[in-house]
Amino acid sequence: MAGNKGRGRAAYTFNIEAVGFSRGEKLPDVVLKPPPLFPDTDYKPVPLKTGEDEDYMLALKQELRETVKRMPYFIETPAEKQDDIERYSKRYMKVYKEEWIPDWRRLPREMMPRKKCKKADPKSKTAKAADRGPSLTNSADVLKKIEELEKRGDGEKSDEENEEKEGSKKKNKDGDDDDDDDNDEAEQEEYDEEEQEEENDYINSYFEDGDDFGADSDDNMDEATY
Amino acid sequence: MSSKAPSTMTQAEIKLCSLLLQEHFGEIVEKIGVHLIRTGSQPLRVIAHDTGTSLDQVKKALCVLIHHNLVIYRVHKRSVVEYEAQCSRVLRMLRYPRYIYTTKTLYSDTGELIVEELLLNGKMTMSAVVKKVADRLTETMEDGKTMDYAEVSNAFVRLADTHFVQRCPLVPATGDSDPGPPPPAPTLVINEKDMYLVPKLSLIVVLAVLHSQAPLPESSSVCSQIFRSLPGSYNISKQVLDQYLTLLADDPLEFIGKSGDSGGGMYVINLHKALASLATATLESVIQERFGSRCARIFRLVLQKKHLEQKQVEDFAMIPAKEAKDMLYKMLSENFISLQEIPKTPDHAPSRTFYLYTVNVLSAARMLLHRCYKSIANLIERRQFETKENKRLLEKSQRVEAIIASMQATGAEEVQLQEIEEMITAPERQQLETLKRNVNKLDASEIQVDETIFLLESYIESTMKRQ
Repeated sequence: MAGNKGRGRAAYTFNIEAVGFSRGEKLPDVVLKPPPLFPDTDYKPVPLKTGEDEDYMLALKQELRETVKRMPYFIETPAEKQDDIERYSKRYMKVYKEEWIPDWRRLPREMMPRKKCKKADPKSKTAKAADRGPSLTNSADVLKKIEELEKRGDGEKSDEENEEKEGSKKKNKDGDDDDDDDNDEAEQEEYDEEEQEEENDYINSYFEDGDDFGADSDDNMDEATY
Repeated sequence: MSSKAPSTMTQAEIKLCSLLLQEHFGEIVEKIGVHLIRTGSQPLRVIAHDTGTSLDQVKKALCVLIHHNLVIYRVHKRSVVEYEAQCSRVLRMLRYPRYIYTTKTLYSDTGELIVEELLLNGKMTMSAVVKKVADRLTETMEDGKTMDYAEVSNAFVRLADTHFVQRCPLVPATGDSDPGPPPPAPTLVINEKDMYLVPKLSLIVVLAVLHSQAPLPESSSVCSQIFRSLPGSYNISKQVLDQYLTLLADDPLEFIGKSGDSGGGMYVINLHKALASLATATLESVIQERFGSRCARIFRLVLQKKHLEQKQVEDFAMIPAKEAKDMLYKMLSENFISLQEIPKTPDHAPSRTFYLYTVNVLSAARMLLHRCYKSIANLIERRQFETKENKRLLEKSQRVEAIIASMQATGAEEVQLQEIEEMITAPERQQLETLKRNVNKLDASEIQVDETIFLLESYIESTMKRQ
């Protein structure tokens, strides 16, 4: 039902007296903006409880806050670990964090970090998440890629591809033993490879072929030329 | 304890969870935890993809969260695993100091340390806890003395009996995993459900009634049973006990009710009534402190009479119309009071409709609870801000302390120590003092607001159970 508009004075759709305003009385101002962030209050807050109990709990709380930072469960972001200036006092403030190894029996299998054969450290940051299911097609693809690139004659790249090939070969061995059903994404594999590369000082495949490591290299000037 | 579905978490609760996770476990765990709180059940890869975090870091974060009982996992068919956050459990981290202290008052230092270790570590085997606590206690003892492991074990068993700690459920073997050997010793976790802070009123009798009432809290206790379970040291005769009980039962607060006369009198604790009274008292107190005692009078009036018209409020409260109106609207706008329409005629015509003011305690309690979450989030943020503002000075002070400590260890002279101490100037000391005072105040406020949260949540849960 449309109200009567534009016919002189506005009529209320409800009985204004029922909510306490008498007819014709000036209504309070319409609020046009949100209330101030820190409004003045007429009444000051009641003081906090004090006592032995409260003091003890306060001390506990502050202690706990410091303690949790030192626990192995507190995971720091890599940025936080950087020290801006080497300080003398840092020697005396070193915090030794205990290693924590979860009880794997209570966790789903996919939580476990995957071990690479080369890295003996099971808590290695380069733990792989994905496990390969049937991945013969994968290695076939990789081999194909390698052949193509070798044809292009890009020396550096072929090293990387070799490494990938080696890496995935090893993973295939692991894959046959385990049987997770995690979905496979090629992007994931590449991402992990890159991550691993960044953390290596050496290119894994450097000594891979086992033969003539310097023989084909043009850079090697040690060999005498006859 | 029932966990809230992610879709029902308010922004305020999520924000608070975020702050708590960050302080306790760092930013990475916080990111994963908050993501799960917002989105509900998700598998590993989706979490990694949606948060843009590496799979390795997601796994680490989840391990921590699961270990601390903040996230659970479910294995679906085809071995798809989904992870779900337990939001209310995250908020419970605010209460850790209170749990530890309460245990201390009931089970002394040994109990206190047991609960503290379990809270810090999420879950542990009994043997691990006992060893750690015994070693910690040994450190505090005189040279040559060691803490007896058996004593710690006994304390542990007592805590388990009264449900302060409880055993974790065994993990069922899924089709995929090889059935490893069962855990050698049970792992244990803290159970907060029964950690009710007993109200101070007639504590002795109430405790006696509670003790004789296990397992069902609503079942009646016979007077003679109560008498038997009273601790001997209190030396209360049967007649005096009878008087106490009658007094308690007659009290208008209705915490204890009489349900029959057999066996000298049957008494029951009405926990729900007790919680409702406490919740209402909290609401009244908030109104009094925010809006004044006249407003509080109006509030109590509407509460008592259930439904009142505008005019009736003015008359009963004996407050002039304009003022009454103003106060009612203030309370209405903040949702302490609500307006109910009662149509007189079937066409619901506004001029022929009653508009009544009423207090819906449940919804007012929910509103207040929400404000509590916001308050604590604000308190934490302010504390972090204060600390950050003074970060440079705090670090300097810590470095100086570290240097002094190492110098004392190597036997430095008093003069040298003083020199180092003077590296912090007098105005800097003043600044540090002020900071400490402010941080203490903010921390103490958090603890106190959490007490209100406990009360309101208990009342709301108790009410929902009855519906």
